[in-house]
Amino acid sequence: MIDWGLAVKICFFGLSAVFGSLALLIGAIYAFEKILKILEKRLN
Amino acid sequence: MLDMALTTGVMHVTVGNVAMWLIGLFFIYLAIRKNYEPLLLIPIGFGILIVNLPLTFLMEQGRGLLWRFYHYGLEWEIIPPLIFLGLGAMTDFGPMIANPKTLILGAGAQFGVYVAFFGALILGFNVREACSIGIIGGADGPTTIYTTVRLSPHLLGATAIAAYSYMSLVPIIQPPIMRFLTTEKERKIVMKQLRPVSKREKILFPLVTVMVICLIVPASAPLMAMFMLGNLFKECGGVRRLSDAAANELMNIVTILLGISVGATMSAEHFLKLQVICVFVMGIVAFAFSTAAGILLAKFMNLFSTEKINPLIGSAGVSAVPMAARVSQAMGSEADPKNFLLMHAMGPNVAGVIGTVVAAGVFIALAG
Repeated sequence: MIDWGLAVKICFFGLSAVFGSLALLIGAIYAFEKILKILEKRLN
Repeated sequence: MLDMALTTGVMHVTVGNVAMWLIGLFFIYLAIRKNYEPLLLIPIGFGILIVNLPLTFLMEQGRGLLWRFYHYGLEWEIIPPLIFLGLGAMTDFGPMIANPKTLILGAGAQFGVYVAFFGALILGFNVREACSIGIIGGADGPTTIYTTVRLSPHLLGATAIAAYSYMSLVPIIQPPIMRFLTTEKERKIVMKQLRPVSKREKILFPLVTVMVICLIVPASAPLMAMFMLGNLFKECGGVRRLSDAAANELMNIVTILLGISVGATMSAEHFLKLQVICVFVMGIVAFAFSTAAGILLAKFMNLFSTEKINPLIGSAGVSAVPMAARVSQAMGSEADPKNFLLMHAMGPNVAGVIGTVVAAGVFIALAG
């Protein structure tokens, strides 16, 4: 007997995690880029 | 005389054994003659051949040589993370850091994983088996192996072979789908040259990524941590010996052990089943949908973006690095010989690896 409830849960959480984590990563990359630029300016 | 004959393997050969020898020899032929993933198909083919020789007991639990490789290498989850260490030491995340939007394309290409997951459930596989089959769509061999060993080890041979076969067939599978889903005008879109990425950004990237991904999906930590450690070795520049060892010697050693261990799981009684054909069918479904989803997502992003993305790079979101990116480049230059998409396609390509690891982590966390 297939547990469709678990299957839907896996799909929903899976896609959310894939998109969510990669979106967060994009945010983190942009944020670090900004911080690095500010730091470099101050150091110069 | 008969007793003596019975101690030889010859008297115990079955039709199944012979069929598996032919399959093993076919893989070796493909690897040598057609150059399809030779680094893996040769040890896998050889593993199939020897494990199907009667009375060798190479996979006998607790005693057989190949069982030891399989048990300590795969069941103990040593080999796939070490492969990721080597992959990290060979991967340049620069194109992705320069254009982080391409990460979304790597995520989009994971749709095929879930299409195949539901397809496998409909075909009668249980949830754990469906997870192992679905992950083939990520086109990432070590992740497929890692997930299958955790969730349904009896399918290891089939899923590993399907993943690596389809990865080597990327230049055949993807182009018709890419042509079908894009117009000539879209294929000719020229993308802006990527900005240079500083060394500091490249060093920070693996540190940020391992923290972000492992905090969200802790189950992906074994693969993601090793992937990013390998990349840190490469980018920091201070540990050239470690970086070289991870990318060359260690990678080669674990590839041999991985190949022969996977081949060793393919004995006649485990492999010659209808289930295996279903795994192969769902594998190609997963692959096709992943390719299509990446392209369609790129087209969707173009609706809202002023800087247009060439949708051909969306198909590179399936991991198969760098083959899928090369296919995007080839298709792009076919439409316009002056169009260079390779570096743009490397962004979704390496993002696809991260996306597949995250998808695998969720499968393991929820179905494991």
